Amino acid sequence: MIDLSKLRNFSIVAHIDHGKSTLADRLLEETNTVDKREMEDQLLDNMDLERERGITIKARAVRLNYRADNGEDYVLNLIDTPGHVDFNYEVSRSLTACEGAILVVDASQGIEAQTLANTYLAIDAGLEVLPVVNKIDLPAARPQEVKQEIEDVIGLPAMDAPEISAKNGINIHSVLEMIVREVPPPGGDREAPLQALIFDSQYDSYRGVVVYLRVMNGVIKPGMDVRMMATGAVYKVVECGYLEPFGMKPAESLGAGEVGYLTASIKTISDTRVGDTVTDADNPAAEPLPGYKTCQPMVFSGVYPADGSKYGDLRDALEKLKLNDASMSYTQENSVALGFGFRCGFLGLLHLDIIMERLEREFNLDLITTAPNVVYEIDKTDGTRLSVYTPLNYPDPMEIAQAYEPFVNASIIAPPDYVGNIMDLCQMRRGEFKDMKYLDQSRVELHYDMPLNEIIYDFFDALKSRTRGYGSLDYELSGYRPSKLVKLDILLNGEIVDALSFILFADEAYARARKICEKLKENIPRQMFEIPVQAAIGGKIIARETIKALRKDVLAKCYGGDITRKKKLLEKQKEGKKRMRTFGTVSVPSEAFMAVLKMDSD
Amino acid sequence: MNELKPLGIYVHIPFCRSKCEYCDFYSLGGSRDRRLVDDYLQALSVHFKETGALAQDYVVDTVYFGGGTPSFFGADSLRRIFAEIQHRFRVDKDAEVTFEANPDSVTEALLKKLRNEGFNRMSLGVQSDRDDVLKKLGRPHNYEQARIAVQAARACGFDNISLDLMYGLPSQTCEQWEQTLRHVLRLRPEHMSCYGLKVERGTPLWEYKEAVNLPSDDDQADMYLKAVQILKEAGYEQYEISNFARPGFESRHNLKYWLGDEYIGFGPSAASDFAGKRYTNRADIHNYIRGMLEQDVPILSECETIPARERAGEYVMLRLRTNRGISPEEYEKNYLMPFSPLLDVIRPLAEQGCFLLERNRWKLTPEGYLISNQIIARLQEAQEASDPLAKKR
Repeated sequence: MIDLSKLRNFSIVAHIDHGKSTLADRLLEETNTVDKREMEDQLLDNMDLERERGITIKARAVRLNYRADNGEDYVLNLIDTPGHVDFNYEVSRSLTACEGAILVVDASQGIEAQTLANTYLAIDAGLEVLPVVNKIDLPAARPQEVKQEIEDVIGLPAMDAPEISAKNGINIHSVLEMIVREVPPPGGDREAPLQALIFDSQYDSYRGVVVYLRVMNGVIKPGMDVRMMATGAVYKVVECGYLEPFGMKPAESLGAGEVGYLTASIKTISDTRVGDTVTDADNPAAEPLPGYKTCQPMVFSGVYPADGSKYGDLRDALEKLKLNDASMSYTQENSVALGFGFRCGFLGLLHLDIIMERLEREFNLDLITTAPNVVYEIDKTDGTRLSVYTPLNYPDPMEIAQAYEPFVNASIIAPPDYVGNIMDLCQMRRGEFKDMKYLDQSRVELHYDMPLNEIIYDFFDALKSRTRGYGSLDYELSGYRPSKLVKLDILLNGEIVDALSFILFADEAYARARKICEKLKENIPRQMFEIPVQAAIGGKIIARETIKALRKDVLAKCYGGDITRKKKLLEKQKEGKKRMRTFGTVSVPSEAFMAVLKMDSD
Repeated sequence: MNELKPLGIYVHIPFCRSKCEYCDFYSLGGSRDRRLVDDYLQALSVHFKETGALAQDYVVDTVYFGGGTPSFFGADSLRRIFAEIQHRFRVDKDAEVTFEANPDSVTEALLKKLRNEGFNRMSLGVQSDRDDVLKKLGRPHNYEQARIAVQAARACGFDNISLDLMYGLPSQTCEQWEQTLRHVLRLRPEHMSCYGLKVERGTPLWEYKEAVNLPSDDDQADMYLKAVQILKEAGYEQYEISNFARPGFESRHNLKYWLGDEYIGFGPSAASDFAGKRYTNRADIHNYIRGMLEQDVPILSECETIPARERAGEYVMLRLRTNRGISPEEYEKNYLMPFSPLLDVIRPLAEQGCFLLERNRWKLTPEGYLISNQIIARLQEAQEASDPLAKKR
């Protein structure tokens, strides 16, 4: 049995790119948990995709053994958290599993919107927040100023914060000492009925679902029956144990305060929800742990197999992904143009992007994704209220009494020089200015009420480009407001392609329609005949472009040696065509469906 | 005695003065190492001997020396090769014997020797009449040299001369291209090949293609149609996508490629379609020499037996390059496949002006040639989706 006073559960929070994953790697190295030799950079991010994008998508946990300067041996559980605004709920659940959080702030960039957002999440979860100033090796580093900023803006004592370079391994030791010294040991009562918080889960084809959890009270042992309190599912525990960097290490039990995993031959993936409480089925806790919510996806998009016959494969893939990602949702959808597919819900566009890439890479699927939309509420003239998740279900304008769209509170932090640019951008995106405050001389925080729809597309990119990369963004849903909406239909060669329809703010319809027709023109390759591209609202054409007929696609030379090559070329051409969807006589590449989003690439 | 079958022979000469910026043929630019040349000649002669034994039922009616630059390789070597061919194969006395040449390596001496030896057709790489453009393309000659070469060939008795031109060149306009054509036509060639410049991966040009102001596809299409029109007016028949000839001067050798006739290619990178198999030699002269002289390395990079169904696809792909086009009767008889699925594709295209029906054969119009990749792909899809005809008794 572990001595709780020698146990520390902590996580690392940071703005994206401030060095969270690199610090995690150094901690593993410094505690000899991982040999430098076997150290793959950023070990905690063990999906290829994460490593490429440099963001942690899924929380992971790992156990470190550390002999402190006082000669005592400690066990440190590091619980990694996602770093993007799309993944707030997962962050909050991971944080709840800890007693402390290391706040990594970039010594040259200082505090950014997500630094604040994540810090508040950690403080809300009752954590001891310990600032660390990273990247002191950079020429532009200004650690003293950043410390002052942390004190002024967040109100955390920061003057003694370790100044480190995770990249170069400088002062990592002082971070470990700080964890031992400052993070409170976990509490909890081993004798009380079991309460364990699920902060992640993962599907393993041999063991079924592996549930990552933090035991708050009581003990988990193999052989006991456990119940998931929100879903009601009951399972017999097959194995429990600790999370080592290279896999799972079985243990006899997991007691209050400890972080680890359990397996229980769980096949029904929706039974293990992040945030749910695991309890003893025979001696249940009176209450679940607080904070569980079914995560609300905010952005919805149609996802279809490029090859219609792969519908079953897509369904299986979504089912598997859903296991690791409680925040994604999917329901079946049927489009005239694309056939059977799914309407999937995501936390945001990055989340959508990541899921799409994982589907394509890990499950080898070619997909068509339709323009994402938010969830609109409609009061119909017959007195009923309707939530619209897809343009396919948008009611006839005659049946609409009032439409509503979701708004967010957006917080933007940037140097004061860019305030003008930011205000222009927000105004363009129908933002309502609320207030602005100086965090210090070099940093302004602006608050806006904005339609979520205006944020989900490329707002973040636009913000970055208007602030030379310095602007940062955080937002949360604030509620629904009445709005004037229309559904825009796109016609190719005179026929509506329903999968290209979308809902938008009426005043923007004309400008958007023009832009979309242009984008489609760019993204649909010229074909053997001329193709009109039109945008219409309720049968009235409001924009038009023409894709000119293809004039040249010929192999000028074809002699003996070219014939085999030419045959291969034709094969490739036919393959390429398989990745296109054909509407009437028009072939549309899957990229075209997403291209309509990239509207503001000015 | 069985009737002898016709056969084409292609010999690849992988030597040239210097590689042009756009060239992706297999050739050793700048090298004419004596030892290597001797080994190569010997390897060819071994290859002729081996293959000649397999071609007893054939009569060679075309021989084609391509490159590289055969004229740069030299008359004596070419003569030696041709003599070997005549030694190992039955060569028709009226065979068409072509050599490719570049203006900078054509001399009267070379022309005389070759003409005396039975070479009767020269294909000259002119490419452009503008010296600045030739220089940009890395061509080692100017236009005046091309003009002189043609004159010399005439004087030495060549009455079948083909000139190669290119369009879609850096900064070229349709007007300039028209001028080039009119200028070159004054040399009164029997045959012209006009190729759109294709920028191939792996060539120097590929690296800086963005920087040289290449004409757009639409402009290239205009240039193509301009060439078709001008050459037609000048009395040249367009008998293939890029080839034009005065009556009776079509390249008999090149036609074999498009009509599905048999040919054997010698030398590295050369391709053959012989005895039901299509195969290609590896593009490596040292490998070729070793394979021939020491027999211990394979010389082929590809070899496949083409099933009948695939031949049907090739028929569509290759015949449609020519003014012979495709014939429903021929198609159904030779491949036992129904023509009607193809007709469903052809008819709307004919309305669009891409196909013509002439003497019961469907052929592409110049507009059709321009998008022939698309059209062929569609026809082949229709073909793949169709079932063979029931065998008629």
